[in-house]
Amino acid sequence: MIETRSLSKVYRVGEQEIRAVDGIDLAIEAGEFLSIVGPSGSGKTTLLHLLGCLDTPTSGNIVIDGQDASSLSPVELTRLRRLKIGFVFQEFNLLPVLDAVENVELPLRYQKVKPAERRRRALEALEQVGLAQRARNRPSQLSGGEQQRVAIARALVTNPALVLADEPTGELDTRNTCLVIELMRDLNRQTGRTFCIVTHDPVVAGYTRRVITLRDGKVAGDEAGEEAELACESQPQV
Amino acid sequence: MLKYIVRNMWRRKARTFLTVFGIVVGIFALTVLGGLSARLTQQVNGARSWFTSKISVVPEGSSLFGGGEGYLPLSKVDEIEAVPGVKSAVAGFGLTLEKEGGGFGSPELIVGADLSRSQDLLNLIEIGQGRILQEGDGGKTVLGSTLADKFEARPGDTVELRGRPFEVVGTYKPTLSAVDGFAFVSYKDALDLFRLANPYFQVEDIAATIDVIPQPGVDMEELAQRIGDEVPGVRVISPREAERQISQFSLIFNAILLGIGFIALIVGGLSIINTMVMSVSERVQEIGLKKAIGAETRSILSEYLLESSLIGLLGGLTGMVLGVAAIVLLNRATASSNVTVFAVTPTVVVGPVLFAVLLGTLAGVFPALRAARLRPVEALRED
Repeated sequence: MIETRSLSKVYRVGEQEIRAVDGIDLAIEAGEFLSIVGPSGSGKTTLLHLLGCLDTPTSGNIVIDGQDASSLSPVELTRLRRLKIGFVFQEFNLLPVLDAVENVELPLRYQKVKPAERRRRALEALEQVGLAQRARNRPSQLSGGEQQRVAIARALVTNPALVLADEPTGELDTRNTCLVIELMRDLNRQTGRTFCIVTHDPVVAGYTRRVITLRDGKVAGDEAGEEAELACESQPQV
Repeated sequence: MLKYIVRNMWRRKARTFLTVFGIVVGIFALTVLGGLSARLTQQVNGARSWFTSKISVVPEGSSLFGGGEGYLPLSKVDEIEAVPGVKSAVAGFGLTLEKEGGGFGSPELIVGADLSRSQDLLNLIEIGQGRILQEGDGGKTVLGSTLADKFEARPGDTVELRGRPFEVVGTYKPTLSAVDGFAFVSYKDALDLFRLANPYFQVEDIAATIDVIPQPGVDMEELAQRIGDEVPGVRVISPREAERQISQFSLIFNAILLGIGFIALIVGGLSIINTMVMSVSERVQEIGLKKAIGAETRSILSEYLLESSLIGLLGGLTGMVLGVAAIVLLNRATASSNVTVFAVTPTVVVGPVLFAVLLGTLAGVFPALRAARLRPVEALRED
């Protein structure tokens, strides 16, 4: 599904050279549910951006679905993102002037899907995240947890092979964190889509089947294990 | 897409309004001045075809548009007719139709033409109904088309010119020139009307202008030169000279119009650029998000260009509508004195709006490029 070979990203700040990602070899299989953890500055967000084709590596290769992304032009990278990758961000990044269903439709719009079809698929995706009844609400009328679920629907609506989530629970309370992770895990099980979650929260990492630990831009640990049992409280905490 | 852009503009209502308002002011001014210019152009073109078809002889120090003092003695007619190449010279005496005349543009005039010598001058215009004025037509008038419409007069009707009744013997076809506002009467009647209005002036045998009709095949410029050389104490305005005076007049006005347009361009353009740069800065993260989920550079670019041209369109439409409304109101206000100051032509309506949209689009280029060139990673990182 995804393979990286000696993947590196080097930033230059003044005289100093920062090796944010430093020679990472990684293989992610289709259908995995994994997390990338590490202290801040360990390069996990940079790695996620490289995996998501938002950024180009300084050296090394990244192969997504058999296609070497490191040699693609910005236009081709945009196309690859549009078709194969879904993103979930820490700050949800919903457009405030669009309601939930319009936000979910946005990636389809860039795929030039017809309006009726777009609406149908977006409502379907909202159904999947349990927010069908909130379709006409703007982000400002939704709770943080709900907003992140809309963002997840947006990431899923294009049927991407890979969903990348950057600190998806960073802005959420414990209960909503649990709900969001549970949602992503269920979607992973139902649809077989690959989920890759960057987090600094060990609890969140504990819920995934594979945990990759980064330190100073290098892989410091790669453990596969049983995911922890999820038991979200059904009542909101006061 | 459009709905989305409108909502984005609505997000910053006050700012959008202020920017649009800036455009409105500029376009309003442009529209009103455009209306003024259009009206003037109509009149100038009208004047052009009248004045360039003949040679006008006026008192020294006068121009085509008056401003001079004094009159020419009738004896000059003989002197001019003696110049080789002149077919006939017709003394004319004009006074404004309304006593308190002196409105805007070419006024309505009562023109007395000395028909004892020739009717050539009056043959320059095509008669619509009835006949042209003839020698001995005291108390009779032939009306230009505008005046005929104004008085709703047909041959046989009687109209009042400066309080005196005149029988209409003919009306001219529209020429779209100054002549449409002329009431031609005999030279003697015109002089009488002048005496009536100015009882303390003893005027006899004078002319305000002498119009010269050349013999066929004679070059008018050369003839004008010759008249100037041979007849002392007059100013000769050849067709080319008339053309020059008229062009100069419209040139100055168009320069003013251009200046206003330029100010609108700078003020409006800068305020749109400012607004759009702010919009882009505010939405950097959104732009990053859009690029992350697959928006092409082109689609970001067109989104922001559309937003800025929409600001231009809104301001342009509003400014134009207000401008046209002002024109209509002003024209209505001056209608009672039978003066039309502004004209609404297709150019007056469409021009400023197109200008505003173009301005908006151009002003959007820089901010839109800035937005479109953002790299997704950096854009997303920004708070």
